[in-house]
Amino acid sequence: MKKAWKKMLALSMALTVVAGSMAACGGKDPVVETTPEQTVAASNETSSQEAAQDGESQKPEEGGNGGGTFTYAIGGDPGANVNVITTSDRFGLMTIKMIYSPLCMYNADGINWFLADSVDASEDNTTFTFHLRKDVSWSDGEPFNADDVVFTYEAMEDPNNAGWAYSQLVYDQGATKIERVDDYTVRFTLPFASAASLEMLCNIFIMPEHLYKDVTDFENNDINTNPVGTGPYVMAEYAPGSHVKFEANPSYFLGMPSIDTFVFQIVENSNTAMMAIQSGEVDAWVATPAEVAQMDLEGSNLTTYAYSEGRVAYMAINVRQIPDEKVRKAIFYALNKKDINDAVYLSEDNYLTPTSFLPPISQYYTENVELYETDLDKAKELLAEAGAENLTVTLTYSGSDSAQTTQATLIQQQLAQAGITCELNGMDSTAMIAQLDDPETDIQMFLNGYIMGIDPDTFLPLFASGGDYNRSHYDFPEIDELFKRGRETSDSDERFAIYEELQKTLQDKATFYPLASNNRLLVVNNRVGGVEEAGLVPVYTFEDTSRLTLNE
Amino acid sequence: MAKYIIKRILAAIPMVLIITIICFTLMNLAPYDAIDAMTSPKMPPETVELIKAKYGYDQPVYIQYLRWVDGILNGNFGYSIVTHQSISTDLAVRIPNTIKLILPAYLLSYVLAIILGLIAGSHKNRWADKLIDGLSAVGIALPTFWVAMLLIYFLGYRLKLLPIVGMHTIGKENSVADFLKHFIMPFTALFLSFLPDSVRYVRSSTITQYSEDYVMVQQAFGASKAEIMFKHVCKNVLLPIITKLGMALPMLVTGAIITETIFGWPGVGPYFVKAIQGMDYPIVMVILVLSSVLVILGNLLSDILYCLTDPRIKDLG
Repeated sequence: MKKAWKKMLALSMALTVVAGSMAACGGKDPVVETTPEQTVAASNETSSQEAAQDGESQKPEEGGNGGGTFTYAIGGDPGANVNVITTSDRFGLMTIKMIYSPLCMYNADGINWFLADSVDASEDNTTFTFHLRKDVSWSDGEPFNADDVVFTYEAMEDPNNAGWAYSQLVYDQGATKIERVDDYTVRFTLPFASAASLEMLCNIFIMPEHLYKDVTDFENNDINTNPVGTGPYVMAEYAPGSHVKFEANPSYFLGMPSIDTFVFQIVENSNTAMMAIQSGEVDAWVATPAEVAQMDLEGSNLTTYAYSEGRVAYMAINVRQIPDEKVRKAIFYALNKKDINDAVYLSEDNYLTPTSFLPPISQYYTENVELYETDLDKAKELLAEAGAENLTVTLTYSGSDSAQTTQATLIQQQLAQAGITCELNGMDSTAMIAQLDDPETDIQMFLNGYIMGIDPDTFLPLFASGGDYNRSHYDFPEIDELFKRGRETSDSDERFAIYEELQKTLQDKATFYPLASNNRLLVVNNRVGGVEEAGLVPVYTFEDTSRLTLNE
Repeated sequence: MAKYIIKRILAAIPMVLIITIICFTLMNLAPYDAIDAMTSPKMPPETVELIKAKYGYDQPVYIQYLRWVDGILNGNFGYSIVTHQSISTDLAVRIPNTIKLILPAYLLSYVLAIILGLIAGSHKNRWADKLIDGLSAVGIALPTFWVAMLLIYFLGYRLKLLPIVGMHTIGKENSVADFLKHFIMPFTALFLSFLPDSVRYVRSSTITQYSEDYVMVQQAFGASKAEIMFKHVCKNVLLPIITKLGMALPMLVTGAIITETIFGWPGVGPYFVKAIQGMDYPIVMVILVLSSVLVILGNLLSDILYCLTDPRIKDLG
């Protein structure tokens, strides 16, 4: 599992972003398809500890400029050893985001510049020249320059470092070349032209060369535990199992954050977090729709912000176990997506309904595909044609995931109406992922989820035949061909046509049944301002924490 | 007596060794290993070999075992697969946190249990007994997590008297008053979970002693109730309770897993649970070994205390 886990990480991140998986719902949503526990586990990220409430109010006493303390409760321990190369779990990445900055962030809202302020792309889309900001210094006072960027990307490309973004920089055709042009200019040369290249180069955080140059093991070293970065905050204290405390970085290049102290409070039990945010002990927490429904938002002075992580929750069929396309279609026709989603996410406000493997927020998303609207007669007909009456199938899912458990139960009921017996097999998610990776697995159908990148090319490892995460274990050369053409085309209309064709083809194969693209619900105390300005993004939660404010 | 104690200690050593072998073997039989975690499929095979060699996984299993035991004996418990942190460093922070919570709760419940148990046992079937025994029965039936949530709901959320999460308010790490406020709820939850069981144990042991012939003899001699109780019954009741004290030793590490997780207490509990969920084998192995060694030590301790307090046992040695 670890393997699966790590692999995923690599992959997904590699994909530019993080791939998420598993759990549906706010509950556990690991960043990559891996074990929910590790990456995310707990369901939520909450913040805690704030002040002012309990018996005698405790205001943050420390902190410099009277900016107060913001406490965000998170469901797992990020650990002290965070490193921009090796860290790939959700909470570790959130910590990285506080301390370090990337050249740029590429999210659904487009590109946002951090350490770089612009990029020039060559005509053929293979060479990208980044112009770096000249006013940035590391939190130890050293100036930031092109050497740091080259050093970081080269470390990421070294297979011995097991960097999370390795596969988004190094391809079968060769590695991306990184050159220092001058102190504030860096040129990247990719081995082939791709419309997704810029996305692949963003979201990688830069580490200081002057401190790390002699480090051989990026995972474990003293510099990781006393990090020096260019982010909005500097790490002040890490208490294992308890909290990570950050202090505002006065030299942050986008302006010193208005909140002095930022705390990630580790609260693993979601019931506890739910009480803590209502009592005011915590300022922010990610909840599931069911948890939000139980809370007294108004009385507790809370607001919820829903944002999409581009996550897709799905059911997939292993083609090696159910090779007959008619049978697979019959199963899809027997399902009622809306009933399943309403049961899991309570209200349509909490999810979007995807029709293909792309999240509905993607610019390449299309509804011009086979939708598999519920049609029991058709399902029965197809089963009869395939000679598969009295079909019995097994659905595997993560038994500890409440969203998947609900989905599985409803799928079982719906299939029964079409005369299909569905046996449920709820198992440990890590064990499930490991089994799914085995081409010989006897898993027939399974529930899972992912968060990939913005560009459709980032989904290749999940859906290309032989892709690292192709858990349907199919072999459809036409899909591979479409992925290949999409990657090599830069005209956006042409690309749209290719990816539309790809989505259609995949849906016609009936191996992948998208269920929902659920929103993440961030519950925030009303004393916190600037949430919209800070920007809500996948994985890291806030795109720029320096924009948050506290109204006491 | 010294001979008896030495004999017990010598018997404990092979037990500990066997436990380490069992833990190591079980973990080796598990379907994934640390190498799977440290490598990625994209790595060239030579790199994987290098990593294997670096961590000693290219050696035969018995050599790996010896290296592991050697590490443990030297205080090097290895590194977490998931967070890459030194396990001994993590445990050095977490075990004291857990002990801070469990020790006071256990000792208080232990003392109170002896008192309540003696009262109940010596007043069998009278109102005091019925009350104590009845409440204990209810107490045993109440799940810890539920009691903890009730405490949080009323004291933390409704009345806003106490902080809900963690061990300190950030920035007040040195304030004893702040620690106590965080301490009250988890302490109460734990205390309530330890108490009923011990009360019933002492009670039944007291009742058994009261039915012994020597009590009847004392009564026949006209001894007062207090005399029977404190001079005779008490001594005999306390003997088996010493065993219980020894047996409680492993609880210092793993005794508050649920409570700690609920209150966000940075102890061993959440660390262990996370490790199991994340298949962080090195951590699971170390904690397994640690708590089984404590079981053995606890038994050893009970044996020795027994031997010191009960002259009859010396003769068995």
